[in-house]
Amino acid sequence: MLQHKINELLTQTGPGTPMGALFRQYWLPALLAEELPENDSSPVRVKLLSERLIAFRDSEGRYGLIDEFCAHRGVSLWFGRNEESGLRCTYHGWKYDVTGQCVEVPSEPDERQSSLCRKIKLKSYPLVKVGDVLWAYLGDPATTPDLPEWEFARVPADQTYTSKRWQECNWLQALEGGIDSSHVSWLHSGGLKSDPLFKGAQGNKYNLADKKPFFEVVEGDGGLFIGARRTAEDGHYYWRITPWVLPNFTMIPPRGDHPIHGHFWVPIDDENCWVFSFDYHAARPLKAEELQAMKDGHGVHNEYVPGTFRPLQNKDNDYLMDREAQRRGDTYSGVKGIAMQDASLQESMGPIVDRTKEKLVSTDSGIIMARQKLLKAVDALRDGGVRPPGVDTEHHKVRSASVVLPADQPFIDSSREALTVRPGMPHASV
Amino acid sequence: MIMQRQPTLLNGCAMAATAAEARFRIDHPEPKARNSRIIALDEHAAAIVRRLGHQQWRGGHFLVFDDAVLAGGGNGLAADATLRASDGSVVLLSDELDGADVVVVIATAQASATAASIIGDACALRRIMSAGLVVTGAAPVDDAVSALRPNAMVLLVLADENDIPPILTALRV
Ligand code: FES
Ligand SMILES: [Fe+2]
Repeated sequence: MLQHKINELLTQTGPGTPMGALFRQYWLPALLAEELPENDSSPVRVKLLSERLIAFRDSEGRYGLIDEFCAHRGVSLWFGRNEESGLRCTYHGWKYDVTGQCVEVPSEPDERQSSLCRKIKLKSYPLVKVGDVLWAYLGDPATTPDLPEWEFARVPADQTYTSKRWQECNWLQALEGGIDSSHVSWLHSGGLKSDPLFKGAQGNKYNLADKKPFFEVVEGDGGLFIGARRTAEDGHYYWRITPWVLPNFTMIPPRGDHPIHGHFWVPIDDENCWVFSFDYHAARPLKAEELQAMKDGHGVHNEYVPGTFRPLQNKDNDYLMDREAQRRGDTYSGVKGIAMQDASLQESMGPIVDRTKEKLVSTDSGIIMARQKLLKAVDALRDGGVRPPGVDTEHHKVRSASVVLPADQPFIDSSREALTVRPGMPHASV
Repeated sequence: MIMQRQPTLLNGCAMAATAAEARFRIDHPEPKARNSRIIALDEHAAAIVRRLGHQQWRGGHFLVFDDAVLAGGGNGLAADATLRASDGSVVLLSDELDGADVVVVIATAQASATAASIIGDACALRRIMSAGLVVTGAAPVDDAVSALRPNAMVLLVLADENDIPPILTALRV
């Protein structure tokens, strides 16, 4: 249960909001790099933290993320011409470079160009490519953090794959699904047996045999580690450890030698978010069949309405609910694929769920702690300008892990190495 | 008879997940208050629980572990435990667990494994959800965590005592 005003505080990320200020401390995934595939490729509309922007890649390969609307009379620059090192509004020909600086007002006399242009600049933010993702920083330029060091974005290109999908609800609702390890035994139970990106791991049998995991939540420098333990053989526990790094990064514990997956939950506005879903292997290239399975929408990925980032299964078609599959037990909920199993339920809660009405139980402790940490980070930033956890790139160097440990060992001490990035070394995985 | 296969009204399908439709969610109060028991395992934790007891709660009992009550027969096994309530009275663990919905155990580095297991076992026996909050201080809390691990459905290791009230509020204590 949460007070109404705290629910609002955590879910509103537009300009001028406290949570929005927190998000504006970080490099955030804004687009897939493939959306701006080459110099002078088509500009792309981007809405991020309730700000409408346009992303483009100029003739020199520089990325720009600028106010979507022309300074002249407010036309969307999506209609613009991306040519000769700038984006030109097609209404009266005003032209902008990647920093939003106006570089041409063709209707004005040539000799007045520079003096007039100098005074016209659209709001712009840095946009950089790291891995398969274009990252944006919407905060104060004076405090621009170091570039992201997340392992999925730093391994060689053939070891990693990222997709994104539109989710029609607030970012926090989606994030909380990533922290909520207790739903996995139910909602996703079908996928452990059948999904090509999960099946066959030794650990799956512990998952399926013990449906009531115990939980341990421990604070880390960048956020939390949420350990779910199940009974294994002879006085041992099977632990699945999920890291959460502020504000919106989560990683799923690995299964066998399968690639590792995780998410970024990025606010579009207060009622929509982008879910960036990645898969990578720290020690080897992805196999052709793994890559194909990801592109086909298995694992944490999904199928699309062709030509869009909207999932094929969406609320307009009741997520292609298959009651027969639900009855047979092929899927627990009747919705295919773990991404859409999550999205269907999270969207059903409404665009911004009313957290004053929820009835949390102890197994929701990961969520409770995460909210608490977000609130503290928001307060510390607002009251004392304290840089929040997750900005420091050392905090990016976390991993999820699945391990079998003797019953009396704290997972956090025994797994410290397993929960830290060791470049080129495989994940600790059962 | 017509079998409806497709939704007829907007609110008959998942498209109804709009803010406008959310206004029609039924709003009804909780039928009964939850019965929560907050139990401190050691002296440091007792001080925390005493401070908590001064705040406004929805009927939770704030208690401090006092002593084991040994079973007859001299086998050294605990049959029950005594707890100190906030008004100073001594109560039996078994009485307190009667009708409890949730038990939150609060411990620090000094927590005894015996106390943890008596409470944990008693909760498990009655199928009561139990959570353990371990507050870290200067001393390592590994032993306290190990003592609680077999018995608490959920264990939270907290660096900041001030995180406890919001957690208890979230659990509707
Ligand atoms: S059982 Fe968790 S939301 Fe319904
Ligand atoms: Fe899920």
